[in-house]
Amino acid sequence: MGISPAELSETDIHEDPNTPVKAAVAGRSPTQIALSRLRADKIAVVCLVVVVIYVLIAIFAPLLTDLFGVQLHQGDPVKDLDATNFPLYGPPDHGFTWKAPLGIAPNTGNDNLADWLYGARTSLIVATISTAASTLIGVVVGLIAGFSTGWVDRLINFIVDVFLSLPFILVALAVAPIIVIRFGQSPGKLVFWQFTALLLVLSLLTWMTLARLVRGEVLSLREREFVQAARVIGVPTRRILFKELLPNLLAPIIVSISLGLPAFVTAEAGLAYLGIGVVGVPSWGQTINRAVTFFDSYPLYLYAPVFGVLILVMALNLLGDAVRDAFDPKTRR
Amino acid sequence: MRMKKPGVVIAAAALMTLAACGGGGGGSSSTPNSNGKIEGGNAGSFKDPNAKAPAPVPSNAAQGGTFTVLTNQVPSTLDPTQAYYVDSTAILSDLVLRSLTQYSYNEKTNDMQLIPDMATDLGRPSSDNKSWTFTLRSGLKYEDGTPVTAKDIAYAVKRSFAIKELPDGPTYQTTFFLDGDKYKGPFKDGNNYAGVVTKGNDVTIKMRRPFTDMDYYASFPAFTAIPQSKDNPQTYGKHPVATGPYKFADYKPGSELKLVKNDQWDPNTDPGRIQAVDGWDFKFGQDTAKLENIIINDQGSAQTTLTYDNVSASSYRQIASDKARLVTGTSPCTYMWFIDMTKITDLKVRQALGWAYPYQAAWKAGGEIQGVTRVPGTAILPPGTAGRVDYQALPGQDGSKTDPAKSKELLKAAGYKPGQYEIKFLFATDDDLSVQAKDQIVKGLTAGGFKATPIASTSETIRTDRTDPKSPINVRSSGWCSDWPTGGSWFPAQWSGDLVGVEGMPNPSNFKEKDMDAEQNRILDTLSPEKAAPAWGQFDKTMETKYYPAVNTGYSGTAMIHGSKVGGMANDNVRGMPTFARMYITK
Repeated sequence: MGISPAELSETDIHEDPNTPVKAAVAGRSPTQIALSRLRADKIAVVCLVVVVIYVLIAIFAPLLTDLFGVQLHQGDPVKDLDATNFPLYGPPDHGFTWKAPLGIAPNTGNDNLADWLYGARTSLIVATISTAASTLIGVVVGLIAGFSTGWVDRLINFIVDVFLSLPFILVALAVAPIIVIRFGQSPGKLVFWQFTALLLVLSLLTWMTLARLVRGEVLSLREREFVQAARVIGVPTRRILFKELLPNLLAPIIVSISLGLPAFVTAEAGLAYLGIGVVGVPSWGQTINRAVTFFDSYPLYLYAPVFGVLILVMALNLLGDAVRDAFDPKTRR
Repeated sequence: MRMKKPGVVIAAAALMTLAACGGGGGGSSSTPNSNGKIEGGNAGSFKDPNAKAPAPVPSNAAQGGTFTVLTNQVPSTLDPTQAYYVDSTAILSDLVLRSLTQYSYNEKTNDMQLIPDMATDLGRPSSDNKSWTFTLRSGLKYEDGTPVTAKDIAYAVKRSFAIKELPDGPTYQTTFFLDGDKYKGPFKDGNNYAGVVTKGNDVTIKMRRPFTDMDYYASFPAFTAIPQSKDNPQTYGKHPVATGPYKFADYKPGSELKLVKNDQWDPNTDPGRIQAVDGWDFKFGQDTAKLENIIINDQGSAQTTLTYDNVSASSYRQIASDKARLVTGTSPCTYMWFIDMTKITDLKVRQALGWAYPYQAAWKAGGEIQGVTRVPGTAILPPGTAGRVDYQALPGQDGSKTDPAKSKELLKAAGYKPGQYEIKFLFATDDDLSVQAKDQIVKGLTAGGFKATPIASTSETIRTDRTDPKSPINVRSSGWCSDWPTGGSWFPAQWSGDLVGVEGMPNPSNFKEKDMDAEQNRILDTLSPEKAAPAWGQFDKTMETKYYPAVNTGYSGTAMIHGSKVGGMANDNVRGMPTFARMYITK
């Protein structure tokens, strides 16, 4: 007769201290994995910091202008400019002065730093709202188009094709004078509607690419087993779309957002340069427009907004790249 | 590639240049600040009926080469009957189409003089100035070798009445010529027009009221020779038949005009033009920053390049030190804020505007360089006009002072509280300089006790908005340029009570006062040219002082840059353009 296990004393069972012990398996979600990868990527962290700084500048623009002691659009051409309309203090002829850290503008005497800070605000607002709207429309339309069959799919495809055939710049050019004619009589309304028109033009003419992408992904995913299983079980379509399919579409959506934000910043600057941006609200594009003729006589006037746009767009692009890489399970780091 | 304004692009400085020509010089080369009066005695020096052909060719002129002219502006037409803007008339009159008389640059006085062109003299008026006779020179030929006849001049005169088919040209012939109100041109009413008679080489033009300035008017391209057999009103402007030293080689409306030598032009018949270069290459609608940079850097072909746009503030300082390549001078234009007399009826309010308007701030914000591209002033007639009187309609106001306190005082006397009286004016949202100037004007008017409401328009539509009778604006920013250097080309064209309510609003103030209309008729119908010129000067002073219908926002100045090998480029102060007729490439 042997010893029954109940009679074995615990002290007789001992383990070899050198036996490797399996560590506790901590379950991490894909998002957590991605975030930890992001934290490890130095470039991504730097870019994130830069973007956050810009966002803070945009939010606190009025505070910052007060901090530097400058004011927006308060230039006095008679007092601040000389006979050739160039500044009487600060660059380009006189040295650096705290009265105008980035100098004042020729012809008007407005402070450049205030314009820069408020311009950052305009650019970021335009970029954020347009990207959000464009992404939202694109994702929703793409999901519905991908998952539906028959006439709904055909109808949505047709609508996407119509929007794709509209030439962006021509529509923007056409809308601008219409707004002026309609709202020209009241200055306050005009500025609001010009801004809104810009946002509408930017969002409504750019959602199509994402819609097509999402639709393609959904088409390939909807025949997969997990989707079939969900349908068989009887999960409502909305739940399938947003709980089952959408998480798999994160990659193209994030790529689209990360490409879209800098593209919209550039688009706003470019449209202002073409004369169809927002008027009356400071923006980098407008400043660049004015400053081009002064590129050799007053370089700082041009380079301040140019670098503003450049650094923001670069940071957003690099950050978007890093985010895409971090979220993709197939890339080895 | 910057496309600031879709479609026709017109430089801001020249935007308000409505009418062409006119304005003989006043002998001043740069800043025409006239202290004291410019009396009518100058009128004599403007004309030289005995100018001899050929025109002198300077010893340092090379033969050959091509001039390149870059400009931001685009001429609206090159049809001689329709040409009225200064760019079209300068290009046509100086280079391609000869008229009965012409303006010629006089180096000694830095002035333009009226001299004969295709006519043998400056015309012979009858004693009552109701009939003018010109004699054509012999030996004049078109670019294809066919001879120019007096009948061709007569046809051109008739063609100028076809305003429906060929609109936008000068319209003095409808006011002054016989049957001007009845005859509608050769396309509608045929060739039977009693107002012009030819006999051999003589052309006689009959008037229905005395017209003392026909010799000046005959310098317009509308009085060139047009062969009736070659005329088609829709297409003539693409290639008008040349009588001048150059002819059209290629014209792409809106972008480019190439001119080459016209071998049928005989210098011994022309006392005003030379034919030194082989050709001209005009490029329209160019980007301002780009063309200024090309010319300033003066590399390669830029040495024979020029522009007739006013130099922008950013480039002015770079070129100001190189005085040889910057041509400055006056052009006979006055910019004004026309106050609508039917809407702003109280004289005190109008005078308050004259004190509240921020002259210097608006000029600077609009990119103008005070003293160079804009000269302050108070008289409506610009410096250099015969008979001009310099006065101050508002005592102490020299055209550049802004005094908000005086403005508030006047408004209070008129019974308005600060911020109560509303001024509505137009600006173009897609023109950055217009927006910046608008901001300064709002600031200035508000400081002066007004309520300023800017109404948005676009560069394309601002001219139609301005002349729209239904528009809510009560001031109109516009101007006028002399068609010739006497008041006769100013007041009947813009300040006559008959013009109120006419299509296109030629009278932007809607000015209609019985005593002023009576005075205009008196000067036009009863005075000789020598007495009329100073009478117009007095008319100017009386009208502004008594009624103040317009705020003088400055006379225009020209500041044009050119390459280092460009010779003979002076300021044609009749038009504010380069003296194309006498330019050459230096050796």
